[in-house]
Amino acid sequence: MKAIRHTGVIREYDLHARPVRIGYGFVIAACVLVTVFALFPILWVCLAGFKDLKEFLSSTSILPSVFDFGIFARTWDQLGIAKNYLNSLISVTGSVVCALIFNGLLGYGLGILKPKGSGVVRKLIMVSLLMPTTISIVPLFMNIQHLRLGNSFVPLWLSYGANAMYVILFTQFFESLPRSIIEASRIDGCDQLQVFFRIVLPLSRPICAVIAIFAVNAAWSDFLLPYLVLRGGERQTVMVRLFVFSTEQTVNADTMMRAVVFSMIPPIILFFIFQKQLTENTVSVGIKG
Amino acid sequence: MSRAERAVRPGGRTVEHLKSWLIMLPGLVLMAFFVWEPLFESVRMSLYKTRNVELVRFIGLDNFVSVTGKDDFLQALVNTFSYTFWSLLIGFGLPVLLSLLIGETTRGKSFFRTAVYLPNMLPGLAVIILWSAFFSGEKSGVLNILLSRLGIPAQTYLTRADWVIPILIIIATWKGAGSTALIYMAGMAGISPELYEAATIDGATVRQRIFHITLPAIRKLAGTLLILQIISVFQIMYEPMVLTKGGPDNASLSLMQLMWQYAFGGSMNYGKASAVAVIVTLILLAMTAVYSWLNRRESDWD
Repeated sequence: MKAIRHTGVIREYDLHARPVRIGYGFVIAACVLVTVFALFPILWVCLAGFKDLKEFLSSTSILPSVFDFGIFARTWDQLGIAKNYLNSLISVTGSVVCALIFNGLLGYGLGILKPKGSGVVRKLIMVSLLMPTTISIVPLFMNIQHLRLGNSFVPLWLSYGANAMYVILFTQFFESLPRSIIEASRIDGCDQLQVFFRIVLPLSRPICAVIAIFAVNAAWSDFLLPYLVLRGGERQTVMVRLFVFSTEQTVNADTMMRAVVFSMIPPIILFFIFQKQLTENTVSVGIKG
Repeated sequence: MSRAERAVRPGGRTVEHLKSWLIMLPGLVLMAFFVWEPLFESVRMSLYKTRNVELVRFIGLDNFVSVTGKDDFLQALVNTFSYTFWSLLIGFGLPVLLSLLIGETTRGKSFFRTAVYLPNMLPGLAVIILWSAFFSGEKSGVLNILLSRLGIPAQTYLTRADWVIPILIIIATWKGAGSTALIYMAGMAGISPELYEAATIDGATVRQRIFHITLPAIRKLAGTLLILQIISVFQIMYEPMVLTKGGPDNASLSLMQLMWQYAFGGSMNYGKASAVAVIVTLILLAMTAVYSWLNRRESDWD
């Protein structure tokens, strides 16, 4: 136990005192309790997915009576979720590409090029961050209708190219890059776009990774604008489908639980691949709500 | 003339500026289309009588009068403040506590961080549906199963007017508290260990160190997160829409949900929907202004 350093509020020295040692025991116990509270509902919904309708509505046991993966496969086929997965994949891919290119270029302009007058844009973007986003969903939907972009992925993709938070993250990161490299490449005759693609972008892998992860997750989970744009059509994503189920109550409760599991699988996989980037980056400050 | 010289030539500078703006243009156009224009448009639309997606005629504040005159508006307004109250009560201190607890652990710290962050990654809609089964009033509802083990009879939850808002906030807190805790942990990681060492040598207890070193160090961050939390909880919409449809008897109806109902709930009354949206925006602006004013006063004293 000697090798473990206490680096928080409790220092090595404190552990000589008995009350502190007991208190530390409580800290660990509380953390375990919180972990159970965080993970149990997720585990539960996966278990509930194994129950059929009769069992789901009547059983008073947490565990299902049988573990039959066939029931998931049958629901998958019956709902035709594969097509929705494909739609979600298309929607997410385009959204991430737009999030990186458009916000990245804007951040490049605000953080490195800084042309005359760009300070105003910077302030405008900061203010947009504090503006409630769902407020504008009605006029935005009307604009999309006016442009006859309904039932298309294009407005959904492009909406990720207009994210104030991502622009600010890019801007701050670009500002932290050493000016000398950029100036040197300018003198070597690169124009601004070349500098961006040859110098800035390769140096910006960490921030691009973080924004890409956030954009994947946000685009996957998004359903309000996608519902308005895609409803009734052939392009419904997984989350739009789930929203339709929940509002129209067209599927049974047990099927619903399996649909929930299907909708959670990609984010959970994403999470386990990138958990280090997600839980250990400090840029996540502000990525809330 | 070398390239370097050309770069500093006055005429060249103007071209440079123009090129820079050109690079930013696509991003700016998208920001304008998706963020800025809709904001102005919703203010304009709130003053018009609308039919489908067309503005019919200017009617001044009639939409506001008509919207605020209905019973459901007052209910939704009170509910939205109630959401905010419960959210601050349940959800504001908890992430600070979590980050203090996890920050103290030595073994398993990254496991705890990962575990509390995971709910934040799940789609919000899936989370609501998942928890609706938890709070089901049937004997097969998960909470009732757990309570029956303790000998407590089955309860109903979502049909109780005074329980439904706290329940929605508990769900939102379950999803979001872990990620906020990680933000606080990042803030606390910035505190110099020498401060703690010095305080320890001076004989400060663990509790004194928390209250005099740790918490003051994250006060500014907490202020920012507070205002972000208020802004986000004020926009609560799909959560009650999916969980309770605003019920029982409008007890969980939020302002934004009212807006959605005007716009997409069948009547397609975009003018009235925008009026509700504008009211929400004004309340939020007022709260942000009060917050920054309070902040200024405080920093004047410092």
